[in-house]
Amino acid sequence: MAKSNYSKIDEYGFERPDDFDYKTYDEFMSHYMRTLTRRALRWNSVYKNRNFKKNNTMKRFIRKGIPANLRKTCWMAVSGAEQCRKNSALSYQQLRGKIENSQISETIKIDLPRTFPDNIFFLNEKQLPNMLYNVLATFAHQNSEVGYCQGLNYIAGLILLVTKDETATFWLLKTLVEHLLPKYYVVTMSGLLTDLDVVNDLVQKHEPTVHRHINNIGMPWAMGTTKWFICIFADVLPTETVLRIWDCLFYEGSKILFRVALALIKLHKLEILETTDLSELMTVFKNMKNHPRVIDCHGFMHYVFDLSGSLSSRKIDSLRLKHTK
Amino acid sequence: MANRSGTAQRPNGQSQGKICQFKLVLLGESAVGKSSLVLRFVKGQFHEYQESTIGAAFLTQTICLDDTTVKFEIWDTAGQERYHSLAPMYYRGAQAAIVVYDITNQDTFGRAKTWVKELQRQASPNIVIALAGNKQDLANKRMVEYEEAQTYAEENGLLFMETSAKTAMNVNDIFLAIAKKLPKNEQNTGQGGSVQGRRLTEGNTEPKTGANCCK
Ligand SMILES: Nc1nc2c(ncn2[C@@H]2O[C@H](COP(=O)(O)OP(=O)(O)OP(=O)(O)O)[C@@H](O)[C@H]2O)c(=O)[nH]1
Ligand SMILES: [Mg+2]
Repeated sequence: MAKSNYSKIDEYGFERPDDFDYKTYDEFMSHYMRTLTRRALRWNSVYKNRNFKKNNTMKRFIRKGIPANLRKTCWMAVSGAEQCRKNSALSYQQLRGKIENSQISETIKIDLPRTFPDNIFFLNEKQLPNMLYNVLATFAHQNSEVGYCQGLNYIAGLILLVTKDETATFWLLKTLVEHLLPKYYVVTMSGLLTDLDVVNDLVQKHEPTVHRHINNIGMPWAMGTTKWFICIFADVLPTETVLRIWDCLFYEGSKILFRVALALIKLHKLEILETTDLSELMTVFKNMKNHPRVIDCHGFMHYVFDLSGSLSSRKIDSLRLKHTK
Repeated sequence: MANRSGTAQRPNGQSQGKICQFKLVLLGESAVGKSSLVLRFVKGQFHEYQESTIGAAFLTQTICLDDTTVKFEIWDTAGQERYHSLAPMYYRGAQAAIVVYDITNQDTFGRAKTWVKELQRQASPNIVIALAGNKQDLANKRMVEYEEAQTYAEENGLLFMETSAKTAMNVNDIFLAIAKKLPKNEQNTGQGGSVQGRRLTEGNTEPKTGANCCK
């Protein structure tokens, strides 16, 4: 693991960007490795039996990051995916048996080689694209309201890279789409349209100058932020940062996404305000993954939870109600 | 400023020229090659496996046309049907559109026609629309006849070319044809946001006359 800090490829098989700042990353990692070791010890003493019950300790632990080797089990437990699997009349294998050669299956097949095409695991392990196909097609066939929506390939793809377990990936994907996230992926994308408006509202309230500037430049909100929600930051932020966000998402639900969105806007406030046209503005959005404070996933999560202001579940719920489509 | 940098890019070194900026949107079914066409036009590259576009991407490219520098602001959209509800905010105010289909897939041609209809109804009235039959390099698997698409394009007043992002065939040409057809003697700033209008006039003290419209 220590080696991979300096390699061009991260531990999940993603190539680092050409302009990746190894020096800053090195400084961050020298801290973060210590944090990881400390956290791993804590987890091993408190959760010796791998009994991940939801309570305040668990929540606190999760906000500080789930150790990589426990992610699969912990995500399954706290998200409700494990329960969902147990309650299901049909096993994953049985559900998978129902895949038919339909239009949907064809659409998914087209997207397989277009999912993380530069990821070395997707390139080198023949099994991964197959597993991804099985998960997406099984999901699509058992949820006709959603079927297949582009973006799910990135989510399922990243869960697979973390868990290397097709069955777990299916239940986690199902739980995310059917329970944890609003109706982002249905044909009307109603939940997405609502959340785009909610984040717009929040930025207007918390960062009015940024909001005005973006409007003046003429960037539609959806342009900068659709992918944030649809891919829940996969392929948007650095992998380790995405996983830390997902740790909290699986435990606490989708309200965390607004905190992250607002944190990103605040961290890039000056850069955004300095832009003079759409091209520069979009570049700022595209480069958010390279910001040292975003790469420092541990510091970033601190920042996310330290954001003050009304980001409670109740506030988010009422904003969502206001913008319901 | 804008004028000076504009002339610098012109091959013939004329000192007087104008700069026009246009918003161009790409529409069409998923996987027909919208992003690939843009990548080819802007960076001269092609990826065998291009990631699907979620939401929209934005790129710019400048080309020279006689004494005019044409700057395209290219808005590349997501093709999957359900992303349709987001499309109007991307084609709003666009002066040009490339509607793309895949010549090896009849359904994508049907979808292209739907886009053309929607643009004719909902987009700016003077929008220049080009139809691109992409993946021409796969002509041996062709499902849409050239003549069929050409007839359709003629009937609807569209520019039409078969293209290949892979071999680069007709990629620059289709953008060039659009640039030629776009009105350069009429105001075309201010539709895509105030900043571009300002930037394009900055450093230029001439009055806005018919001949200098897009400064
Ligand atoms: N043979 C061939 N393949 C092409 C051509 N253009 C694109 N492709 C391939 O077709 C696939 C889809 O291309 P994209 O450019 O991603 O398509 P898109 O229209 O942007 O798709 P969405 O973003 O999903 O809407 C990619 O794997 C490309 O490599 C072409 O001219 N010839
Ligand atoms: Mg695309």
